[in-house]
Amino acid sequence: MRRTDRRLRWTIALVLAAGAVITAFPLFWMLSGSFKPQREAIDFPPTLLPQDPTFDSYTQLFTDLQFGRYLVNTVIVVLIGGVGVLLMAMAGYAFAKFEFRGKRWLFFLVLATLMIPVQVTMIPTFLVINGLELTNTLVGVALPTLVSGFGIFLFRQFMTTVPAEMLEAARLDGAGEFRTFWSVVLPMSRPILAVQAVLAFIAGWNSFLWPLIIATDQNSYTLSVGLALLNQQISVDPSLQLAAASLMVVPVLVVFVFCQRYIVQGFALSGLK
Amino acid sequence: MGRGLTPYLFVTPAMLLLVTFGVLPILVAAVVSLTDMDISGLANRDNVGFIGLDNYQRLFDDPDFRDALLTTGFFVVLGVPSIVVLSLGVALLLDRGDGRFVRALRAFYFVPAVTGIVAISLVWGYLYNTQFGLFNYLLSLVGVEPVQWLSDPALAKFSVALVAIWRGTGLNLIIFLAALQGIPRVYLEAAALDGAGAWRTIRSITLPLLRFAIFFVTVTTMIAWLQFFDEPFVLTDGGPLGATTSASIFLYQEGFRNNQFGYASAGSLVLFVLIAVVTVVQLRLRRPDAQD
Amino acid sequence: MKRRTALLLAAGLVAGLAGCSDDDGDNAAASDGPLTVWIMGDSGANFEQLVEPFTADTGIDVEVVAIPWDGVDQRLTTAVASGDGPDVLQIGLSKLRTFADAGALLPLDDAIADRPALDPANFAEGVAGDATAVGGQLVSVPWISDTRVLFYRSDILAENGIDGPPATWDDLRADAATLAGRGDGQYGYYIPQWDSPLPVVMTWDQGGDIVGEDGAIDFDTPEFAAAVDLYTGLYADGSVPTNADFDQTQGFISGVTPMLISGPYLAKAIADAAPELDGAWSVTTVPAAESGTSLFAGSNLGVWHDTANEDAALDLLEFLSAPQTQLSWYEINGELPTVTAALEDEALAADPLVQVYVEQLADAKVLPTVPNWDGGVGADLLTALNEIVLNGADRDATLADLYAKTSSVSID
Repeated sequence: MRRTDRRLRWTIALVLAAGAVITAFPLFWMLSGSFKPQREAIDFPPTLLPQDPTFDSYTQLFTDLQFGRYLVNTVIVVLIGGVGVLLMAMAGYAFAKFEFRGKRWLFFLVLATLMIPVQVTMIPTFLVINGLELTNTLVGVALPTLVSGFGIFLFRQFMTTVPAEMLEAARLDGAGEFRTFWSVVLPMSRPILAVQAVLAFIAGWNSFLWPLIIATDQNSYTLSVGLALLNQQISVDPSLQLAAASLMVVPVLVVFVFCQRYIVQGFALSGLK
Repeated sequence: MGRGLTPYLFVTPAMLLLVTFGVLPILVAAVVSLTDMDISGLANRDNVGFIGLDNYQRLFDDPDFRDALLTTGFFVVLGVPSIVVLSLGVALLLDRGDGRFVRALRAFYFVPAVTGIVAISLVWGYLYNTQFGLFNYLLSLVGVEPVQWLSDPALAKFSVALVAIWRGTGLNLIIFLAALQGIPRVYLEAAALDGAGAWRTIRSITLPLLRFAIFFVTVTTMIAWLQFFDEPFVLTDGGPLGATTSASIFLYQEGFRNNQFGYASAGSLVLFVLIAVVTVVQLRLRRPDAQD
Repeated sequence: MKRRTALLLAAGLVAGLAGCSDDDGDNAAASDGPLTVWIMGDSGANFEQLVEPFTADTGIDVEVVAIPWDGVDQRLTTAVASGDGPDVLQIGLSKLRTFADAGALLPLDDAIADRPALDPANFAEGVAGDATAVGGQLVSVPWISDTRVLFYRSDILAENGIDGPPATWDDLRADAATLAGRGDGQYGYYIPQWDSPLPVVMTWDQGGDIVGEDGAIDFDTPEFAAAVDLYTGLYADGSVPTNADFDQTQGFISGVTPMLISGPYLAKAIADAAPELDGAWSVTTVPAAESGTSLFAGSNLGVWHDTANEDAALDLLEFLSAPQTQLSWYEINGELPTVTAALEDEALAADPLVQVYVEQLADAKVLPTVPNWDGGVGADLLTALNEIVLNGADRDATLADLYAKTSSVSID
């Protein structure tokens, strides 16, 4: 019994390790390519590791190209996304803990937005942003994806588990509604906030479509758009492209690795079982 | 309750944004779908004419739209079960294997989920390249002829789907891991005391308890694949010969390449209704089962 | 004005939101603000460098926005929808008709009369005048010449007993077959599967055209049939790669495809990526049959229809049409001038590659200006040919479909 147990454990670890290597391989390839000199990157047969590693591509991104600027813009878009998380938390709380006229209908709308194909929304959304005079601003870039039906749904799921007595206690102490939300509900919702913050981070960091359409000035481009700029009909410099891609992936990865425990926990407590 | 306005105050900001950028566009599309709007109509409303249901008539007669729907169906049938089974399987393994080593492995599985589509197209484009790609190089080492990953119409469907599966597994994996953590250990210990094997425990205890998570993942994944767009857009642009033209790609091409906005809007509405029907059917099917 | 109507379109629905901006006027009303220029692809930084002297001379700032190729369609469409465009934009010939029809481009006839530098007579034959006009109105000025020439690897041709580049399409087909015989994974020629002009060039070279007397597209001609024979023949011989993701630069450098037809930008790409191949490759005019006509596929510059900076925009066009500017652009970005004086410049003409381009430009035509070539006729043409060569579809039936689909499209 013990013996087979151990063997099973080893087998599982091996299978998982193999799977992990395969899954992460394309990104390893990307990183490796970003350190190759241009000539080596288009060599065939390809080399697994750079023979002659160099930081040239990265330097070029920041000196010749405006990737420093794109990076700052992307960070700002991500930060604005944080406001969206708060708005979704508020809506999720209302759906979870209040009864009000039109609630069912509104929540139905929330779910319906999940089913709308993005291609439809492009032109109307652009007209709205344009009407609000927000084209070419980072707020305009962040606005269309600031809140998502999925996010509101997750917050609602989680917040139904907040005990009603705690809310009543806060109210009896004379706390206003917003105060109750801010100092009782939000702290209790830390796990789901972590999940949503990370999801919002990923979405904002990778956003491509809206920055492309809404940023009509190169100074408001984000990293994704900058990377797409390098994508020519004739590819000449794969290492430069791979370096730009790495610049996009690595920071998200770091954030993710640090937060993964909270994320799993957040989902676990959101009643998704 | 005496808190009449409060919930509205909490709901309004988010709902305003959601309605503006989520609901409104589909209403606009509904109006536009009844017109012959093209690029000159977009520039000047005088050039737009009302044509009733003509766009829908044309859509149902268009073999290309039918093909795009069939292709979408193919992707759904291939992608959804793959993602559900794969993410559930890996989550079960990750949950079982404990210790530092296995926990460190988790991050590897999440990596694809956090990668932006533009970066993905770049990396996978290189991997798949027929002449210079790594995959064919590896195959050549064992004497296999070069494979046309993205150029062979039959194979391209699978290649594109593989990238989407690779990317889609991570997030669902987290959801499953989370759900697994929510299963009280006592159940599993009780099963072990009863002498139930690993497989048996999974089948009769774990899986039933994961029912809601499985359902949730299936529904959201299904919606995502019915809108399948990113991977074929960046990897094949719907080709070769339309083999990877999903419904969303078709709509994009009609709208932004051919500037047939009225026609594309009609198509989006059809797709939206289709997604809604599939989702509602899933919700209905679940209901009786939720009672027990 | 246009902007308002565009907003009205969504009116019933967006009313409240759109209302806020109804009377805020046109693009950043300040007419001496910087000029915004949209440039396609990643040559934005080079373009900034190019216009530095312009800013120094006139004091007009130029703000260059590079638009990724992947996003050109969305960007132009949303600009038309809102009416908010740049002041000056680069526009590919294949999209010219679409955007001119939408009224996005300012007619330039009057302006050109006052500005001698923009006179169509200054430009190479065939690229100005009609080629820049839609519906009888000039809406653009030629900017870059992109003609197609035959690139070949002289070293590989020689090794395989071929003395020089093929002068006729028949020779090319024979040579390609020889070169493909070098072994597995080796080919003689490369046909880009996205290149809709290539079959048209082949048709021209057979002495035909794809537009009939009445101005409608007509593929049902013996010359087009001969072009299809050539196109499908190259595949049947196994002379061309069948994968869509073939990279022409790498294919040429590695020698997998020692011959291909492409534009001047490829020369720059090869020189950058493989300087050691210098002397082992060259270019020549496209093979001939009845004629040796190639494609003119440059891009033009247009002025946005409601720019508030019309004068400054036209000043910039004048600057960009100056021979000296066009020569600097060739130097920094490898794209050929359109102005005759620049093409005849001694320094430029001393470059043997340029001699070939100039020779070819004298015999180059633009694609017919049907609405939406890329998404319409061009796409149908490629689908038909690729169905035959890649999927083994029945030739006659597929071509009959193509005739039926495209015969109603007209250049008027």
